[in-house]
Amino acid sequence: MNPLVPLPLLIPLAAAFLLGLLNKRCPRWFADSIAILAASATGVVSLILMHESALRPIVYWYGAWTPRSGIALGVDFYVDPFSAGLAAFVCLLALASFIFSLHYFDSVGNLFHVLMLGFIAAMCGFSLSGDLFNLFVYFELMSVAAFALCGYKTEEPSTQQGAINFAVLNTIGAFLALLGLGMFYARTGALNLAQIGRTLGHDSGVLVVTSFVFVMCGLLVKAAAFPFHFWLADAHAVAPTPVCVLFSGIMVELGVYAVARVYWSLMDGALAPHRSALTGVLLVVGTMTALLGACMCFAQRHIKRLLAFSTISHTGLLIIGFALLKPGALAGAALYLIGHGAAKGALFLVAGILLHRCGSIDEAHLYGRGRKMPWTGAVFVLGGFGLVGLIPFGTFAGEHAIEFIAERNHQGWLDIVFFLAVTITAAAVFRVYARVFLGRGTRLSSGARLKTVDERRETSGPHNHVPAVMFLPAFALGLLAIAAGCIPGETHAVLTAACAFADHAGYQARVLEGAFLPIQAVASEHAPLLSSVLRSLGATLAAIALAVFAISPAWDRGRIYSRPFARSMAFIRRLHSGRVGDYVAYFAFGVAAIGIALAFLIAS
Amino acid sequence: MLVLQATILIFVAITATAVVFTRQPVRQVVGLSFYGIILGLLFFILQAPDVALSQITIGAVALPLMFMLSLAKIRRDAEERKRREESEHRREAA
Amino acid sequence: MNRRVRRWFFLICACAIFGLFVSAVRQMPTFGHYRGPYGDILNRETVYERHITDVVTAVNFDWRGIDTLGEESILFLSVIGTLVLLRKPSSEVNDSHDENDTADKRKGREIPLPSAATRVATLGLVGPLVVFGLYIVAHGHLTPGGGFQGGVILATAPLLVYLAGDLKSFKRIANHETVQIGEALGLLGFLILGLPGMIRGGAYLRNVLPLGTSGHVFSGGMIAPINVCTGVAVSAGLVAVTYVFLEHTLETRLRGRR
Repeated sequence: MNPLVPLPLLIPLAAAFLLGLLNKRCPRWFADSIAILAASATGVVSLILMHESALRPIVYWYGAWTPRSGIALGVDFYVDPFSAGLAAFVCLLALASFIFSLHYFDSVGNLFHVLMLGFIAAMCGFSLSGDLFNLFVYFELMSVAAFALCGYKTEEPSTQQGAINFAVLNTIGAFLALLGLGMFYARTGALNLAQIGRTLGHDSGVLVVTSFVFVMCGLLVKAAAFPFHFWLADAHAVAPTPVCVLFSGIMVELGVYAVARVYWSLMDGALAPHRSALTGVLLVVGTMTALLGACMCFAQRHIKRLLAFSTISHTGLLIIGFALLKPGALAGAALYLIGHGAAKGALFLVAGILLHRCGSIDEAHLYGRGRKMPWTGAVFVLGGFGLVGLIPFGTFAGEHAIEFIAERNHQGWLDIVFFLAVTITAAAVFRVYARVFLGRGTRLSSGARLKTVDERRETSGPHNHVPAVMFLPAFALGLLAIAAGCIPGETHAVLTAACAFADHAGYQARVLEGAFLPIQAVASEHAPLLSSVLRSLGATLAAIALAVFAISPAWDRGRIYSRPFARSMAFIRRLHSGRVGDYVAYFAFGVAAIGIALAFLIAS
Repeated sequence: MLVLQATILIFVAITATAVVFTRQPVRQVVGLSFYGIILGLLFFILQAPDVALSQITIGAVALPLMFMLSLAKIRRDAEERKRREESEHRREAA
Repeated sequence: MNRRVRRWFFLICACAIFGLFVSAVRQMPTFGHYRGPYGDILNRETVYERHITDVVTAVNFDWRGIDTLGEESILFLSVIGTLVLLRKPSSEVNDSHDENDTADKRKGREIPLPSAATRVATLGLVGPLVVFGLYIVAHGHLTPGGGFQGGVILATAPLLVYLAGDLKSFKRIANHETVQIGEALGLLGFLILGLPGMIRGGAYLRNVLPLGTSGHVFSGGMIAPINVCTGVAVSAGLVAVTYVFLEHTLETRLRGRR
């Protein structure tokens, strides 16, 4: 068996244990270099795995317990370009975070690095695992690391509140997923994804559907889908910036990935006749998430919260990409994920630079204070273009593919959802750019400082310049957001991988029989590029126009008159109350609504 | 055997409900510990001694211990904060 | 949402979920009937494959050993997370030490000294408890129990010392640094024990040790050493968390005693 497969899990874990062992006895630079080394090594291994699995997915059985007569005994890692690619992307973002945080707050006995490395290991394992229970273990590992990282700045009560909301909601989601997992086990007596899928066959009874709904809702909490998304903004607003990069750039998206993995490997046989039902339910969830996130995003002035809501919005678009249940759309979602993750990472790092330079993260307070940082501002705009999906960016390629599939399936209205979501979120980013980096437009009344803005500086040392170690990762991520869309032959390769990903029977044969099934190359259909280009340019212009309008005096005058708009916005804002009891109630509502809708649609 | 299982299951239901409806945290933790033991017994009767042992060590000992420690810490922190506020108050008054 | 609205909203949704759950459970295999082949195969094969008599331990540390590595990492990260979250804010490091009157004393509550009976009972229990914990850890592959359960039992021994009021000894046993080293070493040991299987051409966590005779203490190949590592890591982790929680109280009480 390929000895590289367990390394993306083992390298960061070993590094975490080692740093935990040395703890305060090793100097900061040592911890930094170990962390950076581990992240790069893991990234390189993952890239090699991605390359090797491009032709044939690798199945790795821990303890060499290969299946006997088609029955899985042990735990497997399933490496295909998607899973290995995600692991590589995790490492890349982690590397950027580590470099960014070189200059960062005084770590407590290097425990920050230990948590981050554990977090990386969890995310790599989560993307590679081919076993439902194993997936859950990494889900938990990821959560534990994330809670601690989120509450890292313990001085402020708001931090603890955000971290507690995050922890409570994610733990409830995990319990629900565990319940669903147990039900799957009761039904099939198996834990391996392929094995469960094979045993289920075409059974789409209430038991199977309910188990799937429970597992899916548990994962959707991580994915911050409406109405499970409430924790995300609270958590992002308080987490240290380098951690936000990982939260927004990949952790949330991994939730969607896991839903896709579970669906295609496990449920596709059972739900094949009822795909339209699942598509319908998930499209509603995705659309709500995208639009609600966009509206909330535009209404924020706390930059990290703003970016967090934009993440919610874009995750909604990812869910739409998956909800179409077509390999083409899945490929689009994968491209979108990379493009968005890189752009969002760059934006968060710029927010971190602002916090470093100006000691604030409030749009009103920062008015014009970024004027001396033109290059940092340029990266911010780059991120904005990445969000709106301007043509060379990775998000453009993804959006293009998803919309093509949507139109072919007579879901053309999804174009409008995409347009609205990307325009509004990007407009918010451009608005912040104009106010902070250009010093243009109306001033927000900065008299009433926001309650959430009692951010302390996360950094020590002089604050009169932007250190290279802070700027370069942001810049690199911005470039990556472009590069993700312009690698030649990329679209085709991703589409091929997506077809293999969505091959339910092939997955089972590969895992359980060890069948030698090379990935079939797929003839990609050429979608009409011109209309997509026009749409992307249109969205960009619309976003800029909206931003300009938002900073003009007309906006303030107009806002007073449009009562219904203001009232509905106030209602949406009231929903995000920050009280964890409310969030749990919404969670219950979401589970009940999705479960009943799906059970009803499938039964009828 | 079935009678035994049914009895224990009823006990599990009763203790679990009691834990939920106890409003005072410290008492709730004690109840939780008791509930953990009952659950361990259930596992034991269902012929899963391994799980029962884990349940008793974790559910009846470690978990309530963590809760107790957290409660103690919260109480102490609250007292400390109050004391600090009082002393500040006194300083201001002086 | 105010309290009442929220409660009703939640109750209605919870009832809906419960209805879904009940209708799902009705389709499950009847109570006491196991449907899948997985457990049957493991029950049949384990003794032949691994020469050990406790199948659950074999599942935990061999068939699905990688799960256990993940779970132990969860424990490790939780401990680290607790250390991070409970660390003293940098602003309080200095001024929290000059308190001569602790909150307990000021409220008229004397620091409780354990009674002689408590001291005798608890200190008398420490020895048997340690032996019992070690037994559970060492016989994980023969009888119910293993590193997790034994580790927790071992971790309660220092707590008994604390209850007995022997704070200095407790501090010496449960000292932060030592315990953390123990925990990390246990985990590193587990992680490293998996490597030889990989190097010898098999897969990670594959057994490389001789299997021995089933029923003997030295049997089961790598399960026993992994078990021991788990026991070390778990007991150390639990002690570390307890110590963090008690640290502050401990400091003030130790000063008061002097």
